[in-house]
Amino acid sequence: MKQQLSGTYYFPKTSRAQSVELLVNGEVVNLYQNHKCIMATNTSQLSVSSAIPGVALEVEFLDGGKFIAANSSDRLSLANGKIERLEKSVKWVLASVLMVPLLIWFGIAVLMPKLVTESVKHLPDVVAQEMGEQTFYALKKSILDPSEVAKADREKVISQWQQALDQLGLSKDKFTLHIFKSDFFGANAFALPDGTVVITDDLLISLQDKPDAILAILLHEIGHVQRQHSMRIVAQSISNSIIIAVVFGDLETVAELLVGTGAALVQNAFSRDMEREADNYAFEKLHELGIPATAFADAMQGFLDLNQAHADQPETEKKGLMRYLATHPDIEDRIERANQYGQ
Amino acid sequence: MDVDHTSKAEVQFNKVPVEFSGKGTEFFGIWIVNVLLSIVTLGIYSAWATVRTKSYFYGNTKLDSHAFSYLAKPLQILKGRLMAIAFFVAYSLVTSFFPIAGLFFSIALVFLFPWIIVQGLRFDSRMTSYRNVRFNFHGTYGKAFVTFILLPIVGMLTVYLAMPWVMKKMNEFVLSNTSYGEQRLSTYIETKQYYLAALMVLVVTVIGVAAIIAIVFAAVGGLDPAAFVGLSTAAQIAGGLVYFALIFLVSAIFKVKIRNHVFNSSEFEDLAKFRSNMSVLPYFMLISTNFLAIICSLGLAYPWAAIRTARYFANSTQAKISNKADAIIDTNGDHKSSFGDEAADAFDIGVSAI
Repeated sequence: MKQQLSGTYYFPKTSRAQSVELLVNGEVVNLYQNHKCIMATNTSQLSVSSAIPGVALEVEFLDGGKFIAANSSDRLSLANGKIERLEKSVKWVLASVLMVPLLIWFGIAVLMPKLVTESVKHLPDVVAQEMGEQTFYALKKSILDPSEVAKADREKVISQWQQALDQLGLSKDKFTLHIFKSDFFGANAFALPDGTVVITDDLLISLQDKPDAILAILLHEIGHVQRQHSMRIVAQSISNSIIIAVVFGDLETVAELLVGTGAALVQNAFSRDMEREADNYAFEKLHELGIPATAFADAMQGFLDLNQAHADQPETEKKGLMRYLATHPDIEDRIERANQYGQ
Repeated sequence: MDVDHTSKAEVQFNKVPVEFSGKGTEFFGIWIVNVLLSIVTLGIYSAWATVRTKSYFYGNTKLDSHAFSYLAKPLQILKGRLMAIAFFVAYSLVTSFFPIAGLFFSIALVFLFPWIIVQGLRFDSRMTSYRNVRFNFHGTYGKAFVTFILLPIVGMLTVYLAMPWVMKKMNEFVLSNTSYGEQRLSTYIETKQYYLAALMVLVVTVIGVAAIIAIVFAAVGGLDPAAFVGLSTAAQIAGGLVYFALIFLVSAIFKVKIRNHVFNSSEFEDLAKFRSNMSVLPYFMLISTNFLAIICSLGLAYPWAAIRTARYFANSTQAKISNKADAIIDTNGDHKSSFGDEAADAFDIGVSAI
């Protein structure tokens, strides 16, 4: 089959250019300048660029010379045009518009969380231990200060905690409770993946006369440890970053911002799911201990009262659009769920 | 004297067109099909997608009716990408699971960073050709370390007063080490212009923030945090838009001033001269409408935005080329590593000067 293209020939290793005609006849390739043959070669001596819609065909010769077609839609039958046909096909483009959002949602919201939850189960214990110890060390050096609560009060909380652990058959060596003063965290409690649980002075003081409420919060924190939540968050944020980087490798800043925001929203949704999971764990364990789940509601009410007293975190903040920016579910929802569990 | 005179007289510059011929609908098809194929192949095809996208933009950018070519091969990119991902995973795992060990990793990264920059710039240059002659980059690790690690520290120590000068040094590093074939790019960019741009940015930011505060004050009758509680979702969105508009305005001012200055003060001696006449308002409108379109279309407007941005850049660029353009020699050897380039991608390091 004979094919003829007009275009520009660039001589090897220089910018010298010449208008030419490229003639392909079977395996024979000829370049003509003003009807004069200036080069004769065959198809094994050249490589043809993969066809891309709107991009002129390029033929590279073994000696470094190059031919670029003048018309961006001219093609040689030598060129690989399979992908170009998909890119130009209305059917494929429409199918992609439908499939891409579906697949991204499926990958990030369904497939990855499943994979991650399964795979963190196989992480050796030493990882959780190291992670917990190093984080604890770093926190103690930075934003945790020695507790200022009376020693007797602290011991009361700790002995109540150890009793509960005994009753629930949980290891006292693994789950250690620490009390610190922290201006950074305010009234808060958190757990590290190795089972270290920290409660702050402020929280202890605000729930002073409600020991069951304190226990409810601590059980919620154990729930995070038992369900490997920190590991899952780490693994998930890494895998989401990779998915986004790989699928949208060439995005510009604005689009990246958008995709990044989407990923953060999904991440926050998981975080809210995990909080609910830990809440449920606390409800179950409270039930086992013979304490009504409303103790958890009391603890949450304590947070609400505290927030209203300070007014720096208005309760309406979690309404409207802000809801999607929250890492924790709405406090009122959590109170209601605790009350429902109790009934 | 005589010889010098005649050789100067030989060089004649002619104004040549700068065009971008990409089309939104055409690129949309390429983009969406490539995203689908990338997902279906679990990311492997993304290397091919990158090459096709770059080839589309390069091949549709024409200077004096000659198109640019993108030379990288997908397998090069794939290899670099896999290494970058492996590195990113290792880095993320170490910093999240072993925070203290992660600290050392971060320090090591400080020393790796200049290398990634140099490799990335070298790869990008060598994979770009025009009239069958490749660009090249000659920056060294040592100079990159000074420019991208030490100077920013100096900038921070001077409470950012030296930052415009540091940014000028960064651009200078990229520009003065770029060559087309054997011909080096000469650059005469001035520190003064960076301070002027920074000053404009500062003034606009101060005025903008003051205006926002005044509007909020008028709307809710005070700056008491409690007053914000009553803000409706619509007001929150409006607030967000004003905030983004200010960010876009500020970045448009800096980009336009610096790009114009860089183009007007850099040339391939005796070969090519450039001019850029971007203006702030049209560019601000361009990037804000791109942003809105991308958000409202949930990302689907990205190809359209990318094409009109490239067209705008081409339309605001003028070039003069000398009669020597036909005789530039390409002395680049073969270059295979793309790790630096992809690592730069994965860690989101943008060092492009223009």
